Amino acid sequence: MSSLSRSPHPWRGHRRASWRRLTFALAGLGLVVPLATACGGDDEGPDEAGGEGTSDASQELVIYSGRNEELIDPLLERLEEATGTTVTVRYGDSAELAAQILEEGERTNAGLFLSQDAGALGALAEAGLLTELPREALDQVEPTFRAEDGSWVGVSGRARIVAYAPEQVGEDELPQELADLTDPRWSGEVGYAPTNASFQSFVTAMRVLEGEDATRRWLEDLRANDAQAFDGNGPILDAVNSGELAFGLINHYYVYELAAEVGEDEVSVGTHYLPGGGPGSLVNVAGVGITAYGGQEAAAQEAVDFLLSEEAQTYFAEETFEYPLAAGVTSPVEELPSLESLEVPDIDLSDLATLQETLTLLQDVGMV
Amino acid sequence: MNVPSQSLFRAGPGEKRRAPAVSRRRRGTSEGPRMSAVLAVPAAVTAAFALLPLVYLTVRSLEHGFGYAWDIVADGRTAHLLVRSLSLALVVVAASVLIGVSLAWLTERTALPAPRLWAVLATLPLAVPSYVMAFSWLSAFPSLAGFRGAALVLSLACSPYVYLPVAAALRGIDPAQEEAARSLGHGALGVFLRITLPQLRHAVGGGALLVALYVVADFGAVSLMRYDTFTRAIHTSYRASFDRTPAAVLSCVLVLLTALLVLAERRARGRARLAGTGRGSPRPAERLPLGRLRGPAVGWCALVAGAAVAFPLGSLGYWIAQGTSATWDPAELADTAWATARLAAAGAALTILLALPVGVVAARHRTRTAHLLEQASFAGHALPGITVALAMVFLSVRYAYALYQQWPLLVMAYAMLFLPLAVTAVRTAVLQAPPELEYMARSLGRGPLGTLRAVTVPLAAPGIATGAALTFVVIMKELPATLLLRPTGMDTLATRLWTHTGVAAYAAAAPYALALILIAAVPSYLLGRHR
Amino acid sequence: MTELRVRGLTKTYRRGEPVLRGLDLNVAGGELTAVLGPSGCGKTTLLRIIAGFVEPTGGTVAVGGRVLSGPGVRIRPERRAIGIVAQEGALFPHLSVARNITFGLTALARPDRRARAGELLELVGLAGLDARMPHELSGGQQQRVALARALAPRPSVVLFDEPFNALDSSLRGGLRDDVRAALRATGATAVLVTHDQQEALSVADRVAVLREGRVEQHGTPEEVYRQPASMWVAGFVGDAVLVPASAAGGIAHTPLGRVPLTTDARTTDADGDGTALLRPEQLRLGAADASATRGTVTDIRFHGHDTVALISVGGLPRAVAVRHAGPLALRPGDSTGLTITGTATFYPDAPPPSSDAATAEARAQRVR
Repeated sequence: MSSLSRSPHPWRGHRRASWRRLTFALAGLGLVVPLATACGGDDEGPDEAGGEGTSDASQELVIYSGRNEELIDPLLERLEEATGTTVTVRYGDSAELAAQILEEGERTNAGLFLSQDAGALGALAEAGLLTELPREALDQVEPTFRAEDGSWVGVSGRARIVAYAPEQVGEDELPQELADLTDPRWSGEVGYAPTNASFQSFVTAMRVLEGEDATRRWLEDLRANDAQAFDGNGPILDAVNSGELAFGLINHYYVYELAAEVGEDEVSVGTHYLPGGGPGSLVNVAGVGITAYGGQEAAAQEAVDFLLSEEAQTYFAEETFEYPLAAGVTSPVEELPSLESLEVPDIDLSDLATLQETLTLLQDVGMV
Repeated sequence: MNVPSQSLFRAGPGEKRRAPAVSRRRRGTSEGPRMSAVLAVPAAVTAAFALLPLVYLTVRSLEHGFGYAWDIVADGRTAHLLVRSLSLALVVVAASVLIGVSLAWLTERTALPAPRLWAVLATLPLAVPSYVMAFSWLSAFPSLAGFRGAALVLSLACSPYVYLPVAAALRGIDPAQEEAARSLGHGALGVFLRITLPQLRHAVGGGALLVALYVVADFGAVSLMRYDTFTRAIHTSYRASFDRTPAAVLSCVLVLLTALLVLAERRARGRARLAGTGRGSPRPAERLPLGRLRGPAVGWCALVAGAAVAFPLGSLGYWIAQGTSATWDPAELADTAWATARLAAAGAALTILLALPVGVVAARHRTRTAHLLEQASFAGHALPGITVALAMVFLSVRYAYALYQQWPLLVMAYAMLFLPLAVTAVRTAVLQAPPELEYMARSLGRGPLGTLRAVTVPLAAPGIATGAALTFVVIMKELPATLLLRPTGMDTLATRLWTHTGVAAYAAAAPYALALILIAAVPSYLLGRHR
Repeated sequence: MTELRVRGLTKTYRRGEPVLRGLDLNVAGGELTAVLGPSGCGKTTLLRIIAGFVEPTGGTVAVGGRVLSGPGVRIRPERRAIGIVAQEGALFPHLSVARNITFGLTALARPDRRARAGELLELVGLAGLDARMPHELSGGQQQRVALARALAPRPSVVLFDEPFNALDSSLRGGLRDDVRAALRATGATAVLVTHDQQEALSVADRVAVLREGRVEQHGTPEEVYRQPASMWVAGFVGDAVLVPASAAGGIAHTPLGRVPLTTDARTTDADGDGTALLRPEQLRLGAADASATRGTVTDIRFHGHDTVALISVGGLPRAVAVRHAGPLALRPGDSTGLTITGTATFYPDAPPPSSDAATAEARAQRVR
């Protein structure tokens, strides 16, 4: 009973009261400040997508880009300069942006969709959310690298290669087909990235070209041959470069990027393009499509033209070491074999949308 | 007698003051005045708000007919994912309870050197995004990929969810009880197991629920660790097939799973809810001398802090030192940090505002309606960010186009995702404020709203502030919903981090990760420090 | 001066026995009624219903003719103008003394509020403590502030919930006097709930004894003590000596001797066998002469201000308690004479006192 003098509550005095007031003030600010700044200044950059009310002189274009900002942003600045269009970009994962455009449906803000791969574009085309591109744009690109119905067009290409360590692998030992990589001679010497989207596209292509069973067998053989699974193309390349691995299944541009970053002398990796037009030499594309309901067709077409222009194509080639796809543009990267010299499989890239089956397959063989 | 006895508010026969905490709970909640409209209406609004994603999920799930949806549910893969998600959740819950309770006991009850430092360090994992933690561990130990890595990272990342409420509860338990038990011949461990731990049930249960929901909804850690859970499958489903139905169906299963987890937690909590939640004791407990165990105890704390905080920070430092891509712009970093903090503050404020009525109802009423309201508010928490984001896209494009791709919509999505954190904090805080004070206010002429404003909220303020700080931190780290819902052109620290890691520019990404951790560390620090 | 009228009040909680079973209670304006009863008798429920926190199952509550609770009527607590003083005060721990007191004065202008707070602090003897926080006050002071807070809005009725329960007995007396004085000064009608019969008898104008959800007796403290309506009340309110008696012509014949019956409607014409109630202080010890009943001392209990001797008397199964002012020269085993003063209350047809069941139960409940 002696503690009666205590308050009936743990609260002990004014100090707390001021702390409390502070928290509430802060909480209040939390609601008010963003409101005020959103209403007042416009320091976030243009936030009204496809908005009206600005001067008629310049068009506006909203791009949903599944390609990375670091890569695309400088190019789009050039686009603005070149066309006078005010460009706003929304970056995200290609597939998720595609899902977003699917949800937006007819009320989409996007005028243009720039995708990392053909699959996402194919999904939008199938839903009827892309409008057909003008003939002139389509004609600039080989039919292999664009949609048959003209709903999208590739702007840059990535080739699958077999990277190899020259100290371990002689020119004559290079594989002529994928099956060679499952030779016991290369046990534990092949690196692959089962979770990487490009690897998965390659497996999808293999399923399309050679059938489920053959693909499954090859994957099982690869695994049985103690091939090393990696997180992505970069680590595989590092392992090949250090001689830890003899072969790595990666995209071509990683090799050139590494050379550019650390210097050519530091890279001792050979690039081998599989012959024979099999899935091992798949060339996938990053592409672009104009939305059917974005209401920014004129600006979007200009943007497509720009992306297929020599300037943009060269930019991709120089920055990413990807293949330019527009007719008449060749990569300035000298070491790169020409696109025409590659034995690219004959496949409709839109067919690579059956990724779910590929994932199931990879799971079945225990790769992911 | 530091606990007021409140016979005025006791319904029917009540025991004399032998167990004030227990009888108060029963009294305070079961027989108060009816739930007033002032509370019931906003609580219902919050619940309806939290259930909004379900509208979208239902539409998408049944898009191709019920049969199609059912096939997805009945597919062996769904059961498989369920087992994987649940087994990960189980292991992570067990591990984070072990970490959280042991650290709480060490920092609150033992003569650990520098207990305040360790208390803050025990809270800091909150500030480290699970994807950053996972990335740093994975890049150092690639073999961790899979269940082990996911379990390790999530256990570390989630331990504060257990540590915080348990530490608060420990401070609330009258040390006299433990002393009495000691005098009755029980050893320190026996007292902890028989006296202390049972009283922590409520705190541990609440924390464990949040951990379980976090694990079920987490994408960052499981995707980096390549361990398939529901959330990862949902993401893959969007990515792989561009078919939104499987993702929606799986999300529905997830909502169901959440409901079951919430229910299970309520069951486990039991009817006799002990004080459990920091009533503030008249005096601090005597700290138990550790003796020979001092070294191992410090080692354990250091191990957790090292693995959860120091290691990721070290990795970031390493990337900065190593990288060539470090062309970062301090002004841009500052702008992004400011934008992120503003967004998180707005999100936390809205979340608390929405959580307040539900939390008060959950604390003060034990009716079925109150349970349902509380449960509804948990709906969004186990959903992956991308699902909630797409639901918001779907709904706002159709019914609130003016909000679409404006920051208020993003803030609303944050509230949807993190409501349970705030509801739990508010409920716990309100439970600590004696209900009789509210009756007093009513008898003095204040209406339900006036009572809430003048009595309940001020008394629960520290707990509510805790909830706000927690929500703030979690929002700062959020990525998937932010990507889809942010105003076009706006960046947060998390999206910048994503941009840079997307091109493997880890050195450029590191400052953003560092800024994220540092800003989030401020409220985390306050959480750890502030009682 | 406002009268409180409670009529036919019933209350059954979900899944439970009824707590109130048709309770009637009138409290005249300006009067203080103590509601006395063991735990579980429903007194707290009664208070909560009057305050408006709990809805009655049936019956009405009216203040000054205005129905507050009744069929179809449910005035909210904040509209009732009923003040409450809770156990241990229940002061708002986050508000100063002055702000606690002015909490209910929202309608007043600030200076008026401050004036009223000063006035009330004066009334409860705490002038000058306005700026203190509750935890800086002693238990007694907290209780005074709680009283001031309840009285501040000039309620027509004030309810006290065991307000002195938590206080040291030395503090209680002073506080009780002050409560009475304050109530007189404000003219408020008051109901005080307690399980402490001393408190009820000493502080209240009238006492209502509650048992199992009904008012067993409502009268002045003296009536309740001297003429309990039942043996249960007799046992609950004070120590009772219940002895078998046969009444005839206003006189009871008991094993302790003859005693005139209290003139009361219930007992005057009740001739026959029954039980007589005496209070221990009505018994006198003296020489064992012819005018006295003989008994043997079995035990002596010293209480300071008085001494209770237990005397076994032939014909009674249990020793009777005799209260004696001051020290007593007897020891256990001594024989002594017993005489009766005053009058006895007679309960016709009551069970023989040897069973003593009712008193034992009441005593047990009181002691708790």
